[in-house]
Amino acid sequence: MSELPLFPTTTVGSFPKPPYLLEARRKWLRGQIEPEALRELERQATREWIQRQEELGLDVLVDGEMYRGDMVAYFADELEGFAIAGLVRSYGNRYYPKPVVTGPVGRKRPITVEWFRFAQSLTGKPVKGMLTGPYTIAEWSFNEYYPTRRELVMELARAIHEEAVDLERAGARFIQIDEPAIHTRPDEDFDLAREAMEIVTEGLSAYTITHVCYGDVPRIYPKMLDLPVHQIDLALKNEDFALLEVFRRHPFTKDIGLGVVDAHSHRAESAEEVLDGIRRSLEVFEPRQVYVSPDCGLKTRTTEETVAKLRAMVEGARRARDELGLRA
Amino acid sequence: MRTTSVGSYPKIPDLPAPGRWRSAAEKLQRGEITREEFRRVEDEVTREAIADQVEAGLDLITDGQIRWEDGQTYFARRMSGFSIDGLQRWFDTNVYYRQPVAEGPVTWREPITVEDYRFARQHSPKPVKPVVTGPYTLARLSQNRFYSTLGEFVLALARALNRELRALDAESPPLVQVDEPAILHHPEDLPLFREAVAALLEGVRSPVALYTYFGDARKLLAAFADMPFAVIGLDFAAGPRNWDALEAEGFPPDRRLGFGVLDARNTRLETVDEVLRALDRLSRVVPLERVDLGPSAGLEFLPRRAARAKLVRLAEVKRAALEVTR
Repeated sequence: MSELPLFPTTTVGSFPKPPYLLEARRKWLRGQIEPEALRELERQATREWIQRQEELGLDVLVDGEMYRGDMVAYFADELEGFAIAGLVRSYGNRYYPKPVVTGPVGRKRPITVEWFRFAQSLTGKPVKGMLTGPYTIAEWSFNEYYPTRRELVMELARAIHEEAVDLERAGARFIQIDEPAIHTRPDEDFDLAREAMEIVTEGLSAYTITHVCYGDVPRIYPKMLDLPVHQIDLALKNEDFALLEVFRRHPFTKDIGLGVVDAHSHRAESAEEVLDGIRRSLEVFEPRQVYVSPDCGLKTRTTEETVAKLRAMVEGARRARDELGLRA
Repeated sequence: MRTTSVGSYPKIPDLPAPGRWRSAAEKLQRGEITREEFRRVEDEVTREAIADQVEAGLDLITDGQIRWEDGQTYFARRMSGFSIDGLQRWFDTNVYYRQPVAEGPVTWREPITVEDYRFARQHSPKPVKPVVTGPYTLARLSQNRFYSTLGEFVLALARALNRELRALDAESPPLVQVDEPAILHHPEDLPLFREAVAALLEGVRSPVALYTYFGDARKLLAAFADMPFAVIGLDFAAGPRNWDALEAEGFPPDRRLGFGVLDARNTRLETVDEVLRALDRLSRVVPLERVDLGPSAGLEFLPRRAARAKLVRLAEVKRAALEVTR
C-alpha cells in the first residue's frame, strides 16, 4: 500500500449513530417508518462520517456501520438459516439480540457490498470492507441445527468468503474480518478458527486484517500469528500496552493494528499519550508494521468523544512520523 | 425425583414487552430514580422469576438472581477488602463480569444473601434455595493483589463465606447451593479445594449442594463424594464426559445428584423422550428418587421465552418419568 504514510491511521469499524438515526431505528422497529426512509437516513449518517474521517485526516476509512445494529445479528439477519431468538444480557444492563441457527446457513445475496460501494463513492481514500468472522458469528449464536460447532463454523466461513470475494470485486483493497470471540476456547477451538479464516481469505489479493479484543490474547500467542491475514488489530491501550511484553518474548511477524485509544472510556486521550504509545510499541515492532487505530469499535462513545479521540490519534501518529523524520 | 433450577433467570421479558428492569437500571445510572425505587423494580422482577418457576411446576426454585450483577460482584461488593475493576469474559460464554480485586484482607461484613432469600421465600409457595458463589471460584475469577498465594486467598474467602452460610442457617433453608465451576478447570488444586470446603462448611447446619457447570468432573467426582455435600451438581450438556465419570466410579448412595441435563446455553429444546432416555441411562447408576433434575446451569444465557420453555420441559419430563416407572 505504497500511497499510505508511515503509521497509517484507521478505525475498527463502528461509529456512534446520530440521534436522528437512533430515533428512526426505534420507529422502524415499531413499524412507524418505511424501510426506504430509514435507508436514506443511514446514507446521510454514512456521508457525515465519511466527511468527518476525511476532515480528521484518517488514512483508511470505514463506512461507520450506520446500518448495522449488532455485529453478529446484522449478518445473521442477512444470511440464510438464522432467526433472532431474543435479547440476551452480555453485562450490566447491556443486552444483544442473539441469533439462532435453525437451518443450513448460507448467503442469499451480497450483504455489505452495496454499502461499501456507496461509502467508497464518497471519498478518494480507501474504505475498508468490514465483515464479522465465521467463528464469532457461530460462537455468538445459538446452534439448533448443526450437530457440531465445526460444521457450522465451516459453512459460515464459505459464506463470508463469498462476501469477501464480492467486496474485492467491488474494489475493496482492505478487508477486515473481525474475530473477537476467537479466544473463547483457546485450546479447544483455535485451530478451527484458523481453518475457518483460511477459507475466508483464500485467494484474496486485498490486504486482510482481523480484529481481536477482550480476552486472553497471550493464551493464543504466538499461534495467533498463523492466522492467514496481513494484519492483526489488537486493543493495546485498554491494558496500558501490557501485551507488548508478550510480543517481546516472541516476535510479532504480521502488521499490527495498534489500539492506542480506549474505546470504552469517556476521556479523550491526548496526542502526547498516543505518541507515547507508538514510541513504546516501536521497542517491539518495526515502524513499517504499525497501523494506528482505536482499541475497538467506537459505537458506544458519543460523536464528540469519538472525534476527540480520533483527533488525538491522528495528531499522535503525525508527531510519531515527524519524530522519525519520515513524514510522508 | 425433584425438579429444580440452578440459579439465574432472564431479567427482561421478550420483545415487544418493555424491559422494566433494563430501563430502571438505565434510570438509576442517570440518577433519575433512587436505589429504593430500583429495589422495588427488582422485587417485581424477582416475583416474575419465581412465578415462572412455580407455574412451570418446579419443586425447588431460586430467586432467579435478579439482583445479581454477576456471581462475583454481588458478593465482593458487600465484603471488605475488594475493589471492582474492568470487564472480563465469564468462562467460555459471551457474558462479561466486572472483576473483583482483593486489595486487602477479604472479610465478611454483613449478610449478603439473607434478605433476598427472605424476600423470595415470602413470595414463593415452593421451597427456595439460596445460591452462594464458592470461595475457590470467587478467588479464581478475581485478581489477587494482597495475598501472597492463591491458597491464602481461597481460604480467607472460605472463612468469609462460612459466615454467610451460618447467617443463612438462621433462616433454615431446605438447601443452600454453592457454585464452584472453576474447580473443573483446575483439578490439580483439589487439595486446596478440599481445605476450602472444610473451612466453608465448618459448623454449617443447612444441607449444602455443590454445583459445577461448563465442563466435566472426571478427575474430581470421587473427591466430591468424600466431601459433606448433600447434592453434587454436574453439567451433562457442556460436560458429556460426566457420564464416563459416573459410570466408571458410581455415585455415593447417600447423596443426591444434580442432573444438569437440559442445555442452559442453547435455545434448542430437548424432547421429553430424549431426556427420558438419559434418565433411563442414569437410573442404572443413581436411583431416580435421588435425582435433582435441572438445567445444566443458570438460565440467563437464554431469552426468557426459551428459559421458560426449559422449565416447563423439566416438569413434563418428571411427569413422564413417573408414568414410566408407575
